[in-house]
Amino acid sequence: MSRLMSHVMSRPQPRTALVVLVGVAACVAPLVLPDLTFFMRMVMAAIVVTGLSMLMGYSGQASLGQGAFVAAGALTVAVGTTRFELPPLVALLAAPLVAAGFAALVGVPLLRLHGHYLAFGTLALLLMVQAAMSTFDVLGGAFGISGIPPLGVGDRVVTGQLPYVYVALGCLGLVLLLSHRTVHSRFGRGIQALAGSQTAAESAGVPVNRSKVTIFALSAGYAGLAGGLSAFFTPYVSPDSFPALESFTYVIMAVVGGLGTIWGGVVGAVTVSVVLQVLNTVSSQPGLPPTAAPIMQYATYGTLLVLALLFMPRGVVPTVDAGVGRLRERSRVGVPG
Amino acid sequence: MSEFVTYLITGIALGSSFALIGSGFVVVHRVTRVVNFAQGSLAVLGAMLSASLLAGRLPHVVGEAVTVLVCGAVGVLVGLIAIGKRGTPPLISLIVTLGISMLFSAAIIWLWGQDPVSPPGLDGFATVFGAEVERQRLLVLVVTLVAFAALSLFFSRSYVGKALTASASNPYAARLVGIDVRRMGLVAFGLSGILGGLAGVLIAPSNALSFYSDLPMALGGFAAAVFGGLVSPLRTLVGGLGLGVAGQLTAGYLNGSYQTEVALLLMMVIMIARSRSFAHEEAK
Repeated sequence: MSRLMSHVMSRPQPRTALVVLVGVAACVAPLVLPDLTFFMRMVMAAIVVTGLSMLMGYSGQASLGQGAFVAAGALTVAVGTTRFELPPLVALLAAPLVAAGFAALVGVPLLRLHGHYLAFGTLALLLMVQAAMSTFDVLGGAFGISGIPPLGVGDRVVTGQLPYVYVALGCLGLVLLLSHRTVHSRFGRGIQALAGSQTAAESAGVPVNRSKVTIFALSAGYAGLAGGLSAFFTPYVSPDSFPALESFTYVIMAVVGGLGTIWGGVVGAVTVSVVLQVLNTVSSQPGLPPTAAPIMQYATYGTLLVLALLFMPRGVVPTVDAGVGRLRERSRVGVPG
Repeated sequence: MSEFVTYLITGIALGSSFALIGSGFVVVHRVTRVVNFAQGSLAVLGAMLSASLLAGRLPHVVGEAVTVLVCGAVGVLVGLIAIGKRGTPPLISLIVTLGISMLFSAAIIWLWGQDPVSPPGLDGFATVFGAEVERQRLLVLVVTLVAFAALSLFFSRSYVGKALTASASNPYAARLVGIDVRRMGLVAFGLSGILGGLAGVLIAPSNALSFYSDLPMALGGFAAAVFGGLVSPLRTLVGGLGLGVAGQLTAGYLNGSYQTEVALLLMMVIMIARSRSFAHEEAK
């Protein structure tokens, strides 16, 4: 044990260095990138997908309707600031709490479902949230909610896109830290056992239902946070803001990045967003028919999903991890010592 | 009264298409434990293809038959991707078929565009209990009943049908007596393609379908299949018809926009109420 400790101490951890590097790159990127909307969307997707990756990877439950909780967060901000005149910051803090509370509430009956049933159940939940949003005028009705004030404290309000991007990056950092702490806690080991075998975990004393609802609520809280941010960034919330396709996109990102890894959500969100952005630019070239964009989008989603699942079923992060591990193993064998 | 009959028959026609799609889910799930998300897309493909074939290329009946057969072949293709790789867990296969349904969307926009398409069907109206009803809707019901009768005969009388049932009830024992379970899985996918295509061909003349319809069709079909616990085609038929009628009655007497919510809510309630028996089935 002590040898292992000294090993860790003496060598600079490549992983820590990588994390610092990614952090610095993420903070510099908004200053040099021309399109901040794209970057902001990517960061918000990364927040949602980090939660989804945890839910799918550690508790073995799939959610095809994560957009329902993004909507819950966005609605908290939209309704809270325009109707109840909450201070913007309070509304933003309330967004993840309301989304998590909503998930805990619907999770109790919903999480009695498993596998396919849960996947369809969450999708149905999303469609019902959309329907509720367009039916009830409190939630925006047919016209949606506009006139959301900018983020700020008192009289000092935020202007421009750049501050929002940094707030979102800060939130992403918090979310990653929280996920790391959760996964390496007693509770985290419990939910990992749950993914392996529910019966075995139950007999080992893991409170099955409570753990499942908790992780569901946590991932929903992340989604709500992203939703709250999006409501400030694009101050208009309507049922059309949360299409089912976007929830599927979150699943694709989670799968591409690698389920059940802390960094999988970020890697997946960045990979898929960049690929889509590139294709978007290609398909909007003059001379191509207007249907080229949706065709490219659907084809990319489909191809990514099918190829990723069949040939890299564990996702980018674990595959690269294993590859690096093998390389190191080889170099260690090569050098006598 | 005549209003009620109209709603009833409209609901039954829509419910029949849910039942056909739902039985596609059931056929595949029984044998492979996979829920094929692309089931709704197969119905849309059926609608689009029949519209193109019937536009002066082929006569009625022949055009529809060719469409359904092509959908069956495409179903086998979907199966090859979804279960072709050994050891893919069913939940991963579900997400693979989600990807396939997106490829379908891309192909459908590419070949047919984004607008809803409605192929020609039976024209004219018939009078049932004093209500004017489109003849196409009656045709949907009749063909669905014939299809379910054929399906049950196929499962109980034919050699392939019996092999499918054997693979569904005990894959290990089925392998022991020389049944290729994987090939049976592909047969099931083909059958689901035929059922999905049939649903699309039948419902599209009265409810136009676009690439966007795959999700509502898949959800409706899945809801119907849930009535049958994803294993019973007959209960799926009952479930689909009930769902269609409940939706149309809500739309007619309460508010048209509540139709989807009622269907979704019914599905959720049934799934959650029966969750214990599902867990039991999965543990088996």
